Amino acid sequence: MKARIAGLMLLGIVLAISSPAFLTVTNLLNVLRQASLIFLLASGLTLVILTAGLDLSIGANLGLSACLVGFAIKSTGSIPLGIAAGLACGITIGVVNGLMITLLRLPPFIATYGMLWMVYGINYWAMAGNTIYGFPAEFRAIGSGYALGIPIPVLLMAACLIVGGVFTRYTTVGHEIYAIGANAEVARLSGIPVRSRLILVYTLSGAMAGLAGVVYLARLNSAEAGIGDPLLLPAIAAVLIGGTSLFGGVGSLSGAWIGAVILTLVLNGMNLRAISGNWQPLITGVILLLAAAVDTAARKRNEARA
Amino acid sequence: MNIGKTAIAAVLVTILGACGKSADDKPGKTGGESIAVFTKNQTNPFFQTVRLGAANAAKQMDATVIQYIPTVQDSIPEQMNEIEDAIIKRPGAVVFIPVDSKAMVAGVEKLNAANIPVVNITDKVLGGQTITFMGCDEVNLSVNTARYLLQKLNGHGNVIILEGQGGSQNSANRVSGYKKALAEFPNVKLLASQPANFQRVKALQVTENLLQSYPQIDGILAANDSMALGAIEALDGAKRKALVVGVNGTKEAIDSIKEGKLLATGDCDGFMHGCLGTMAAVRHLRNLPAPKEFMVSLKVVDKTNYTGMDVPYEQRMCPKWESIVRNN
Repeated sequence: MKARIAGLMLLGIVLAISSPAFLTVTNLLNVLRQASLIFLLASGLTLVILTAGLDLSIGANLGLSACLVGFAIKSTGSIPLGIAAGLACGITIGVVNGLMITLLRLPPFIATYGMLWMVYGINYWAMAGNTIYGFPAEFRAIGSGYALGIPIPVLLMAACLIVGGVFTRYTTVGHEIYAIGANAEVARLSGIPVRSRLILVYTLSGAMAGLAGVVYLARLNSAEAGIGDPLLLPAIAAVLIGGTSLFGGVGSLSGAWIGAVILTLVLNGMNLRAISGNWQPLITGVILLLAAAVDTAARKRNEARA
Repeated sequence: MNIGKTAIAAVLVTILGACGKSADDKPGKTGGESIAVFTKNQTNPFFQTVRLGAANAAKQMDATVIQYIPTVQDSIPEQMNEIEDAIIKRPGAVVFIPVDSKAMVAGVEKLNAANIPVVNITDKVLGGQTITFMGCDEVNLSVNTARYLLQKLNGHGNVIILEGQGGSQNSANRVSGYKKALAEFPNVKLLASQPANFQRVKALQVTENLLQSYPQIDGILAANDSMALGAIEALDGAKRKALVVGVNGTKEAIDSIKEGKLLATGDCDGFMHGCLGTMAAVRHLRNLPAPKEFMVSLKVVDKTNYTGMDVPYEQRMCPKWESIVRNN
């Protein structure tokens, strides 16, 4: 973790030197607000990956949840009902993922990849290429409002980080999630209810995607079927850059937060420097690989010392 | 295990075969021609308007349409597969928007080899035999749209450009149009031209970032409406003001113009592309002429001339061929 924070600081120092606009309170809040969307998606996914699973349906889930929230608010005028519809959509997709993986014993990649297409399919069919837009200011405050001078999505991110951090670090269920990822068979033999814990993590992953859908809609004031597509890979990348292992058992929510912030900083830095679009993909790739290399090198050194 | 998988595959093939039956062509009579319509993706509302235009034209002319849309947006291999599927189904004619102008030449050549006539719309495919090309000049459209904004700025100020997906022809055309217009206004400074991939959320973030480094931005030229609307969200969030234009003439953009937020949108009328392309295809099958090339008229839509454009596309009707396409 220390190495990752050091990497983040290093990136921050480089950006601060390269652009005077970087190290200002407004820009840092701006970066955190931008990172919050990816982090919300990545947080539920972190739990899944800790169990050595994967959830590829979160992007599609965000899209369908956002459209459903929009539809519910438009047709009933009730904001709480809209939010409930979005969360219920996210949770339902998560529960079905969990059941497919535990009862049908489908590999997580296949189960959630199939779910990705089904959810997209439903959303494309329902939206038929249309956009749903124009929501009341009270709803939009969730995405673009402030409380105590801090953007509300940033507060949501902080709450998720604290609650999630306590859950994974200090509760029995949290420890069981790590144990399942480390070795599912040993976990089962030691009396951990593996199936219900797996259903739980996929449900939480779905719920966070639903919440991210709510925040997306509140922030952009508009949703269409395909909005989740470009968010899936960055969310997975945030989890992995943060040091969570695809093989399970190792990682943390704060790691995913650092991953989400690094991804956001790269775009922020390139925009502040107005780097040409022709170079942006290449630079993104180089920075991400450098971050991963620094992290791996630091961890190796720690292991050698221990 | 293999027997099981083969059985599943056999069942699927039977089901899909049965699904496709209704689309078979009935040759040898006027009316009932089947037209296969190829668009680029399910996400961009522009192509939805093209499909609705095509469906409306077909209905008016007593023909049927089958829509081919890649599930992965703008996927070259997927559109190539869809062309192969279409060749097996043998539609009367194809109305074609290539996902890539160069890469899909091979697809048009396949249709040529199968003797299926091709009407090319919206984006010009750079090879193969086509009956006609009906589309609009995107570079010109963007020049006009940008010029409109720059005149509103009285030829003074700072602007930024939001580019589309890197490597996309549409983005390259629109950005080059914007830069052409900027060259006419020496007192306008282009602060930055940054990619936002045609996505609203990316445009929001990129604009937020640019607002951090530039204290004065007077105009934003976005390569599509989604990005323009994302940029407006960023401006509102930062309590800053700038004139914003986009391209596509989507209903959401028109509503934003009505609200006084978006300044203007360049409209290339996708609905009309769908109408005219499908009409040209049916006319070809009925031995009626079509011009070799037809450019759909461009329009910069602002608060003075949006009337009629806020009607949902589902309720619109294609105009008569003769009222649009003259001199042929």
